[in-house]
Amino acid sequence: MSFTPVLAGLFNLGFVLLISPLYMTVVKIVKARAQRRAGPPLLQGYYNLAKLFRKEVVYSDYASFISRAAPYASLAILMVAVLLVPVIWIPDAAPAEGNIIVFLYLLAFTRFLLALLGLDAGSTFGGMGSSREMSLSAVIEPTTVVVFAAMAYVAGTLSIPEMFRHATTIIPGMSPTILLLSVSLFILIIVETGRVPVDNPETHLELTMIHEGMLLDTSGRNLALFELSHAVKQTLMMALLINILIPIGIIQEASIIGLVLAAILFLIKGTALSVLIGIVESSFAKMRFFRVPGLFMMAFFFSALTILSEVML
Amino acid sequence: MIEPGMVSTLLRICLILVLISAACLLTTRNLSSLVRTYALQSLILVAIAILIGVIENNSILLLIAGITLVSKVIGIPWFIRIIQQRIKIQQDLKFSYLQPGGALMVSMLLILLVYLCFSRVLKDLFTENSLFFMGSVIGVSLMMMGLIAIFTRQLAITKVIGYLSMENGVLLFGLFVTELPFITEFVIMVDLIILVLLTTILTVGMDSSIDAYTNRLKEFHLWSEEEVQA
Repeated sequence: MSFTPVLAGLFNLGFVLLISPLYMTVVKIVKARAQRRAGPPLLQGYYNLAKLFRKEVVYSDYASFISRAAPYASLAILMVAVLLVPVIWIPDAAPAEGNIIVFLYLLAFTRFLLALLGLDAGSTFGGMGSSREMSLSAVIEPTTVVVFAAMAYVAGTLSIPEMFRHATTIIPGMSPTILLLSVSLFILIIVETGRVPVDNPETHLELTMIHEGMLLDTSGRNLALFELSHAVKQTLMMALLINILIPIGIIQEASIIGLVLAAILFLIKGTALSVLIGIVESSFAKMRFFRVPGLFMMAFFFSALTILSEVML
Repeated sequence: MIEPGMVSTLLRICLILVLISAACLLTTRNLSSLVRTYALQSLILVAIAILIGVIENNSILLLIAGITLVSKVIGIPWFIRIIQQRIKIQQDLKFSYLQPGGALMVSMLLILLVYLCFSRVLKDLFTENSLFFMGSVIGVSLMMMGLIAIFTRQLAITKVIGYLSMENGVLLFGLFVTELPFITEFVIMVDLIILVLLTTILTVGMDSSIDAYTNRLKEFHLWSEEEVQA
């Protein structure tokens, strides 16, 4: 067995776990600045996680093993997903067997776990959040499938590292189909990570809660694990968009300097994308629940158009 | 001087941006964003005209780009924005027949239909130059999407933008397939300006009698007191 894929996988995992909270904070800072507030310090995400990890976990009297296992399972599943998405280094052999379809199901599985957790504590808000999450996911799944299908069609492969490798052969931002695909992927990031206008991750209002509703009964270390999972999911989705649209800097031959440069470049690109997400969040109001499918339709339209343009061009 | 390969890539990107702007026109509810998107779409057409002008070394296309810039990117959006401020409409929330999601799906089918039809009708162009073929498909598709905007929107001011988008489709088709004489392009532009003027005036007073209409014009400061007395 070659050592390189294992090293690449571990490096990827460590890098994603390390930078994920940073991007969440960048979005918060941009939103705060848009509202003329100073916003949190850049490392606030890490402080919050450290604080939550130290706190005691309280379970509801009705909670079953699901409440105990779901936080660990959710993060573990996303860590497997991280192995499928090379963020800054594409090794010759992938660290894990799997393709875009497996990736899609891993994301769907974390969503399912979260919905179960919402129901498990037996609280009204949790049930409401789970119900809303599942209603939305019933609509978003077909769109996600079409977006990923368009990605696979454009790159001519189902393997995510191969897709990134294909993207490196194209001049960044100069392929019309990849441009279209990026629009769909951006909408997908907003939807999958529960951002405004689909969901508001910072609210605790009955009318607007989806993601937060399911986590209301979670505390301490478990909440920290979910927060980290959420951040990792966002970084993964961002990595998909970044490495397909602007793959400059992603390395295929490992070297210390190459890895450091690639990491710095990804950090810059990710921060720029987080700023863009923050600007979009600040420019839009939260959509009414029944208007959200309209946004999915946009992603569906653009990804279907991507396939059509690939045929026409 | 830009390389021909680069020009062709830029043209393809512009065509994709035209489609994205057309989708935004179908779904946007905020009127200011709608006007901004229309101006942006027209600006992309200006870029397309310049790029084709560069490829074909045709000065008429540069003139067309010039009048499109003056009329569609600056003039018409500016006028609609003024009217919009006067009549104080911020959003168009009313849709008939199709909601934005449905309109997008119908557009998708129409694009596919246009592509299938054109791949038979313009077979020679397809084999000769796929870029010009795609330009013609997107031009006609843009017309169709403008048409969808006209019959799905309820406010007259947004219907006008649908009509203007249709005309952008005609211009795009003209740029890629048929070379319309400059004078025709110019007359179309004048027509459009008159259409926008008329429709915006009618938008103000569409549901009022003549007396009430005059009062309403005064209310919106479209007609000064002296002019009414004269």
